[in-house]
Amino acid sequence: MQKTKTLCRLLLFFLMVCLLSGCWDREELEDKAYVIGLGLDRSKDKDKIKITMLLANPEVGSMQGGGGSTEKPREIITFDANDFIAAKATANSIISRNISYELLRIFVVSEEFARDSSFSTAFTDVLKDKEIRLNSYIAVSKEKASQYFMNNKPRMETRPHKYFQFMVSHGIENGLIPDSNLFRYFQTAERGSDLFLAMYTTAKRQKDPEIKREDEYTAGELNATGELDDTQFIGSAVFKSGVMFATLTGQETRTINILDDTTDIKDILVNIPDPFSDNKKQFAARIMKTENNKIKMNLKGITPKIFITIPLQIEIMSNPSMVNFAKQKNQHIIKKHIANHFEKGNIKLLKKTQTELKGIPYPLPVYSKKYFATIQEYKKFNWVKAYPRADIHVKVDIKMVDYGNRTRNAKRLGE
Amino acid sequence: MKQQSAKIGVREYVSIAVLMVGTKATEDTPANLYSHVQNAAWMIPLLSAGFFFIPLYLLIKTMSLYEGKDLFSVIKKILGKYLGFMVCLVIFIINSFAVSFDTRTYTNIIRSFYFTTTPTLIIYAILMFICAYGAKKGLQHIGSVSYLIVFYAVVSLYVALWLGTKHANINSMFPLWGSGAFVLVKEGAQKVTIFADFFLLTMVLPYLKSNKAFKKGTWFSYIYICIQISMSILIFVCMFDESLGGTAYPFHTLIRYISLGQYIPNVEIIFFIIWIMAAFIRFTAFLYINALMFGNLFKIKDFEYLIPSLATIYLMLGFIPEAPINVSLQFKPIIWSTVGPMFAGISILLWLVALIRGEFKHAKNKNTM
Repeated sequence: MQKTKTLCRLLLFFLMVCLLSGCWDREELEDKAYVIGLGLDRSKDKDKIKITMLLANPEVGSMQGGGGSTEKPREIITFDANDFIAAKATANSIISRNISYELLRIFVVSEEFARDSSFSTAFTDVLKDKEIRLNSYIAVSKEKASQYFMNNKPRMETRPHKYFQFMVSHGIENGLIPDSNLFRYFQTAERGSDLFLAMYTTAKRQKDPEIKREDEYTAGELNATGELDDTQFIGSAVFKSGVMFATLTGQETRTINILDDTTDIKDILVNIPDPFSDNKKQFAARIMKTENNKIKMNLKGITPKIFITIPLQIEIMSNPSMVNFAKQKNQHIIKKHIANHFEKGNIKLLKKTQTELKGIPYPLPVYSKKYFATIQEYKKFNWVKAYPRADIHVKVDIKMVDYGNRTRNAKRLGE
Repeated sequence: MKQQSAKIGVREYVSIAVLMVGTKATEDTPANLYSHVQNAAWMIPLLSAGFFFIPLYLLIKTMSLYEGKDLFSVIKKILGKYLGFMVCLVIFIINSFAVSFDTRTYTNIIRSFYFTTTPTLIIYAILMFICAYGAKKGLQHIGSVSYLIVFYAVVSLYVALWLGTKHANINSMFPLWGSGAFVLVKEGAQKVTIFADFFLLTMVLPYLKSNKAFKKGTWFSYIYICIQISMSILIFVCMFDESLGGTAYPFHTLIRYISLGQYIPNVEIIFFIIWIMAAFIRFTAFLYINALMFGNLFKIKDFEYLIPSLATIYLMLGFIPEAPINVSLQFKPIIWSTVGPMFAGISILLWLVALIRGEFKHAKNKNTM
């Protein structure tokens, strides 16, 4: 009796071991080809799209490889397909392994396709695929996405998944590109009251770009020379109901990122015109935003009034006109000047969104929800129509963290 | 085996209740509530808890007249042999449907998020097999296992929600009244189904150490669960905003979205394992209670042997809907809108009949004598 019981139990355990492999979903790492970036272009055929897959080679850079592998870190294929879900099967006629979107990091859409009205419907397929995560990013490339991936040859970070992860997350921390993941894309599309910003990128440098201030560029305009990769992530593409229609520069994107509490910007380094100098010198400062904005609204009447207070912490990093900040008066001047500078920048940008873009570039309507009792009232207010005539006041609250080290200019000879 | 005589304590009872009812926030309930009342969905659990409090209180009061008797015995005693039998049968049948569609929902979640190519039948069969095995072990085993994992289940839920709040905006919870206060109250009354499981839990009363433990455990878990569900839904609303309506299983979308820093980006599997253990316990307890009901109805003493066959029947029932969308749009709404109000009605009916028949006075007289 005891023996049969033990035997039965043993058999049960063996049965359970079979289940552990995951039944039909058994996956072999060896057998997978992971797509890191997916490029979307318009195809010559009207109903189709052109798909570019950037596949990472997991053997490169891993410890087990020991650096002995001479394989390339990536593989790129481009072909026409109906959508990117069934394209996985088509791609298998070229790629030997099983294609998986499990580790997909970034969607790169060509500007041409993003501006096409068919884009939003083609892109909704993202939600249907179970492997695609909503935290993957969407970027718009100036050129064709297929060319973008071909031209993008990082020198140091050759493993594509690391390259895109670092590039994007540091761009977001600096505020030069928006935090444009799929989750936010669909959230904005569902809300239908504001515009969506996607990061703007290119792998092609412009010829003879003009020199501007440190953050006024859009992708491709920064004139960097040397031994480098031509890819640039700066600025943003503006989407209205899922279709792109405008671009913003890096500076404008940064201003919006400071206005938008839902993105994670870290400390930002900027140049600010120096109030103490006559010949348009600028000083460097570090901006930190640790608190959320305070937003007050008065939505009664024809012109809605919006009051935004932005708390910023400033650390002055350079002092080109050698001002003595130990004096109370100078501290006061610089504080006021910085506040003024940011207020002007914000007002200018918001005016632009009201007149040119005719839409709100970040989820501001969400903050108005508490002024309504029911959804019906909120819907009736209709932000899309009300925003262009809104009266927006921006106030910047400056807290000085540090006025910088006290240094003196080197004395000139004979002085 | 002397399982019949073994009893469970308050902590086991509370953990079973928390796992049975508390997991509701992690399936399609939030999306369901959101589709009716939009961003005020988080208020529904609180309102429903308020509405269901009265019937539950009356039921427990009535039950306390009959020390150590379970729900079905009390129903039969109060309503008589024939009427009582009919009422019990209806409860059993409705509960059977509820269990089969609930298990199907969980199968759908597992299939659509984690095991995408495995046939539904296989996942479903494995789920039912494990639950049947657990249920056959008896209530004491269920109790100790749930006490073992309840801590992990609750902590992992809170960790997931806390990571979710980083992407949430508290302003999304407004406008406060959603689509109107009247709609809110109406939905709140209808959605008492969330707490209907407490009605069923009165079946296990004889297996508890004392009546007092039962009362204490019920009220404690009732209040705790109502807060937990409400809070989870609030966080889902704040995070997903208006896209919650299109997100069938927000908890699973959330755990696929969040990450533990840059180094550990994809963490859903940690939460999934704990969640699925909680799900096993949930249906194990359900199966056990259903078997208990069946045994009580047809006077079968060793009802534990019924569990495998009951599980098979539920599997077949749950397999009737063709696709996940049919489950959540055709079959579940019927269960959703009937179970809660009906159980509330039965509780009030029991109390009324007991009052009219003067059972409360009898009990008082007995006590004074």
